[in-house]
Amino acid sequence: MFHWLEKNPFLFSVGVFLVIAFAGIIEILPNFAEASRPVAGLRPYTVLELAGKEVYKKDNCIACHSQLIRPFKAETDRYGQYSLSGEYAYDRPFLWGSKRTGPDLHRVGDYRTTDWHENHMWDPTSVVPGSIMPAYKHQFKNIADLETAYAEAVTVKNVFNVPYGDDIKPGKEAWEAYKPKVLAEAKKIAADMKNKDVKDAVARGEVPEIVAMIAYLNALGSSRYEAKK
Amino acid sequence: MNALVIKALAFAAVLIVGTLIVVKQMNIDLSDPINALTMLGAVAIAVLAFGVSAKYIAQMKTDTAQGELAEENWDGIGEYKNELPAGWAYSFLGTLIWALWYWQFGYPVNAYSQIGEWNEETKAYNKKFEEAHKTTDKATLKEMGESIFLVQCAPCHGTTGDGLSGKAQDFGARMTKEQILYTIEHGSNQLGYPMGAMPPGMASGKDAEEIAAWIAGGMKGEQPAAFATCAGCHGADGKGNNGMSPNLAEYDLTLVQHTLEHGKKGMIGKMPSFKTRMTPVQEKALTEYIQSLKN
Repeated sequence: MFHWLEKNPFLFSVGVFLVIAFAGIIEILPNFAEASRPVAGLRPYTVLELAGKEVYKKDNCIACHSQLIRPFKAETDRYGQYSLSGEYAYDRPFLWGSKRTGPDLHRVGDYRTTDWHENHMWDPTSVVPGSIMPAYKHQFKNIADLETAYAEAVTVKNVFNVPYGDDIKPGKEAWEAYKPKVLAEAKKIAADMKNKDVKDAVARGEVPEIVAMIAYLNALGSSRYEAKK
Repeated sequence: MNALVIKALAFAAVLIVGTLIVVKQMNIDLSDPINALTMLGAVAIAVLAFGVSAKYIAQMKTDTAQGELAEENWDGIGEYKNELPAGWAYSFLGTLIWALWYWQFGYPVNAYSQIGEWNEETKAYNKKFEEAHKTTDKATLKEMGESIFLVQCAPCHGTTGDGLSGKAQDFGARMTKEQILYTIEHGSNQLGYPMGAMPPGMASGKDAEEIAAWIAGGMKGEQPAAFATCAGCHGADGKGNNGMSPNLAEYDLTLVQHTLEHGKKGMIGKMPSFKTRMTPVQEKALTEYIQSLKN
């Protein structure tokens, strides 16, 4: 019955490939069409937030926290609206994660604030009794690498056309000109914080990692595309 | 019966006895129908596995090549013509056709979305929930409120609602003296009450002190004369003129709803908005629970 197929090895191979790939294709193709499209009004991460994202990666938050809320009622009740693919358009790489030792963080900016993160990163059990999350006190001391974050913004702007303003451009001078904007943003965060060392550092023009981190965490969620309301 | 079959049955028997020993040691009750069925399955697996093996091993010992070779061969390695049983082949093709029908009409792929399913499920659930709790008594509401509080509020306000030593609002009392003084000094326009903004500096100095002490003290004793300024909006009893402005005496439903909707940034820190995260019944339940936290 199928000897004709076995006599044509190439055709047979193509057939086998199609059959095996079929399920993958119908799941993946529609997403390729949408994935590069940001949800309406989505703004890219600011330089300070990008620096915070680097801290997030460096301290390996992804090992215990996911950033993807699935459309199940149990998840949306706890974490807020389910995630949309267009929300990750400026995430390079996306930090979905695959394990929840701690809670999901994709919308943590919607229901936690600067002062809470400050308490929590300094000593998690002070706000969440029984938490097994370690303290991240070094973030209050280490200075965030803003230059790399700026370089990342320049790169994604040039390579992927991420819609940053004209003031983000290559070169040391451009960075020096841009730096005050980042510091102003950091000052806003520091104003809501209580740690004196952090406040002093920001006043001096140095941005501790915790400030960048909080900027990033606050940006996780609907505030990046509903801020105009 | 040849030696091979006897060996196979012996192996099967060993396996079954081994299973029975484990069953015995774990105190599994075989009179339970599910357990009995599982045991039956285990026996069937043991007998079939060794029986079928014995059959084919015996066949391999005596089998010779026979049949008609197919035309195609690869470097001299060929295969026999061994056609599919017609019944099997037709039902296979039949399932392919059925699958096409199923995708297109039975359960159309293009008509399904996970998000659509979420919408329907949530809508149906919320309706059922509101229906079921239309006339729920206070005790149930309080219990429901506690479980909501533990998930949504406790991370900042603490599991007992005490505000974790000043890190968030303490629900044991309405406001501290410092908070009242801060609000009088800075004004407030965050909760979106119909009365609108409270301008900064409505009172100052000794007046402000007196007002703050009186409200923080639970509004007991004689009302200070300066409270007349506050009474204009908050009402003579400080209860907010039936929802026109914030209730200064207790956490009523309107206050909880407005705070959840708009969030609040005050002396302690910032609370984000929890808009759309709770249904009206849940807000009522939460209010019930928060009121029960009063010292």
